[in-house]
Amino acid sequence: MESPSSHPKFPPEQEPPNHLDDSNGEESESESEDDEYEEEEDSEELDPAAERERLKSLFRRLSTDPVHLRVHDVVIKGNAKTKDALIEAEVMDHFRNARTMQELVQAAGIANARLKDLEIFDSVSITLDAGPSELPGTTNVVIEVVEASNPLTGNVGVYSKPEARSWSLEGSLKLKNLLGYADIWDTSGSFGWDQSLELSTGVSVPRFKSVPTPLSFRLSLLSQDWLRFSSYKERLTGLSFGLWSTAHHDLVYNLTWRTLSDPTRSASSSVRRQLGHDVLSGLKYSYKVDKRNSNLRPTSGYAFLSSSQLCGLWDPRSLKFFRQEFDFRAALPLGFFNSALNVGISAGIITPITREFTKTPSPIPDRFFLGGHSSLVCSLTGPSSLYGFRSRGVGPTDRKRTNSDERDFVGGDVAVTAFADLAFDLPIRVLRDAGIHAHVFGCAGNLGRVSQGEGFEVERFIKGFRSSVGVGVVLPTKLFRVEVNYCYVLRQFEHDRGKTGIQFSFSSPF
Amino acid sequence: MKFPKKVLLQHTIASNCRANFTLFLLPLHSRLFSSPHTKTLTPIKPNSMADEGGSADRRLVLVARKGRFGLPTACPSCLPVYLYLKLANADFSLEFDTSFPDSDHIPYVEQGDNALLNNEKGGAIESLQESNLVSLNSNHPNLPLQDLIATKAMVSSWLYEATLYELWIGIGGEIADQIYFTDLPWPLGKILHWKKVWDVKKLLGLTKVNAEEREEEIYKKASEAYEALSLRLGDQVFFFDNRPTDVDALFLGHALFVLNALPEGSVLRSNLLKHDNLVKYTEHLKAELLTATSAPSHDATSASSSKSVPRRKPSSGWGAKPKAKAKKERTEEEKTFRRRAKYFLGTQLIAVLVFLSLMGGSGASDFDDDGLDYDEE
Repeated sequence: MESPSSHPKFPPEQEPPNHLDDSNGEESESESEDDEYEEEEDSEELDPAAERERLKSLFRRLSTDPVHLRVHDVVIKGNAKTKDALIEAEVMDHFRNARTMQELVQAAGIANARLKDLEIFDSVSITLDAGPSELPGTTNVVIEVVEASNPLTGNVGVYSKPEARSWSLEGSLKLKNLLGYADIWDTSGSFGWDQSLELSTGVSVPRFKSVPTPLSFRLSLLSQDWLRFSSYKERLTGLSFGLWSTAHHDLVYNLTWRTLSDPTRSASSSVRRQLGHDVLSGLKYSYKVDKRNSNLRPTSGYAFLSSSQLCGLWDPRSLKFFRQEFDFRAALPLGFFNSALNVGISAGIITPITREFTKTPSPIPDRFFLGGHSSLVCSLTGPSSLYGFRSRGVGPTDRKRTNSDERDFVGGDVAVTAFADLAFDLPIRVLRDAGIHAHVFGCAGNLGRVSQGEGFEVERFIKGFRSSVGVGVVLPTKLFRVEVNYCYVLRQFEHDRGKTGIQFSFSSPF
Repeated sequence: MKFPKKVLLQHTIASNCRANFTLFLLPLHSRLFSSPHTKTLTPIKPNSMADEGGSADRRLVLVARKGRFGLPTACPSCLPVYLYLKLANADFSLEFDTSFPDSDHIPYVEQGDNALLNNEKGGAIESLQESNLVSLNSNHPNLPLQDLIATKAMVSSWLYEATLYELWIGIGGEIADQIYFTDLPWPLGKILHWKKVWDVKKLLGLTKVNAEEREEEIYKKASEAYEALSLRLGDQVFFFDNRPTDVDALFLGHALFVLNALPEGSVLRSNLLKHDNLVKYTEHLKAELLTATSAPSHDATSASSSKSVPRRKPSSGWGAKPKAKAKKERTEEEKTFRRRAKYFLGTQLIAVLVFLSLMGGSGASDFDDDGLDYDEE
């Protein structure tokens, strides 16, 4: 819908000076840039050769000199349901700051991408039209959107969860732009082979009235099966509110009812004591900076993640703890064979918020677990993966009740991991062209305990580091990073589930 | 939340997928790459949890629900187990679990790494007797087993149902809230209370149609049970041979709960008060077992968190299953797992190859190829 009164108009400014390029000795032109555009519209009346010459001159000037131009008006067309204010809020800042033709084209590209990111339009086109004749050096930006013809989308798929050795059938429905605020309502559900279930529904809006950051709300019910690793199943029912989200910052409030149970009755004493019901009410703040040049094969730059979680904001009887994670990655180009050295270090700590926090055990599901093969280079998720070791296959354990040799991995309160990865191209051209490269890596990590009365000794913690090295081939695709690695476990402790051999890893950088 | 991440096999929503996919090439690795043993270290104590050295601790730990109303544990299911251990003069400590009020495995008795749960083998008391860890009945060589079993069945069924009804339905929910839900954050307590009431009604077969009739039947059976027990007890100290048996533990737990926890308006309480010898029996044993001057065979960590982890040592052969059988089952399970792993691995490899061939392989470059940073602030 068009409402001329609502179209934002930019305040009139001084006439931009004529910037005519005489540096090449070409015949100078006295016409203003506006006249040039008018002449473009009347080009069919001119001699075709002269017209071509004129256009060439114009493009030459556009590519060499800044062509001063400002936006006079932004016209939005095609939005029958979507609020004007929403579209304007997404694009206005970019057009307002543009002062030249080149900046305007760039701003148009950015605006186009931002509008498409809302996922509510089938197409977005931005046209730079001539401004009013009485205001030379101006242009009108016409944004024409085509709203999604079918706001309801859905999909069904079968997925695998190799860590839990199960498959799941999943489906989701999305309803877009129901209220005109680019709100996306989605409902998803999955049913696993191992009787696990996940249901969630939520809504997200990129901005709501005066709130500039995206807001989201989600209600979810899901169960996670950790019976093989730690002899408990976890059922979570909760609400999640996205309070503040920008490119680097993210603040979320979670209110979750968590139930831990052991249907097998084989849990160790440590796990059995923590079975039951809890309420987690807390804020989670994340700060993330990723300046690497690639998520799949970074060769330069750095990335940093800090994630803080404070629980216990609901009821004095709810779980109270503080959890902090740091993750730092850096990529250094080495200049031969397109090689790069990626290094990283991650650390985390969790502590209960009680008077005797050194004697009170932290909740097992919130502790740190090491193991698994998510990519060391791609993932920025705190201390978690350790090549050569199975998921949750490192660290403190407790014997299961069934008096067997099996043990429950109960996690640690303190976790540190570090890695170094040297990636380089292979000498075969076909593989190089496909982006397939090799890498040599080494990683180390350890878990320690602070609570439960044992105390934390730095020396003992350092001596307890597990480590592995390896070599492998990386197949980066558009969506995944596939690694085929041979890992050699250098150091592990009794009860660790480390294994030397070939391992596969599929990781997504998103 | 750390949910195992999934890989998407459908292309249509691949852009929204976050995948973490790990495979282990178990059989192939073992054939192609016979790797030398990795250096395996013994844990640096106490870094590896619960591998703590020291002497084996054979002491029993009873984990029950919290005490209230002057009772060491106010839960009518936990109190008999406590009293059973007291009557047997067992050396045990009492710890509380406050976060799982709707579990059926509480109360349980731990010794070392092993535990006797209440939802196995007929209950914790039966498990204690069966394992000969604490056996009251073994002290009675001439125990009339038929009478014992019949009395135990009556207490375990009629009086148990009456307690359930009175606690969750008969007198309202306040007593139950105090016993089970005070340590849970709102609104968990309320939700679990409603759920429990619904479960009890289902267990007792209560409906809107037969509620009154069922209530009358429950109270009538309880009265008959009290009558029979009063006759059985007479003027003895215990029900059988003047020596304590598990029947004494079961009834004493019931009676202590009814007389101390239920309010004066309770029908069950008033029925029990009609039998003087049962009341005297209860008060006498309460004074003997539950006061400070009684045999100090236990200490209760009543202030301890339900999440505390006691120091335990590895124990051996307590309620253990034959290892040979477990080993055989593991071998079959391992074979099944290996076979499934092969099929799974093969499927994944094929999927990857198809995906790579269809999607054209390299995606090393970023999506944003035009150099513009669309996320700039």
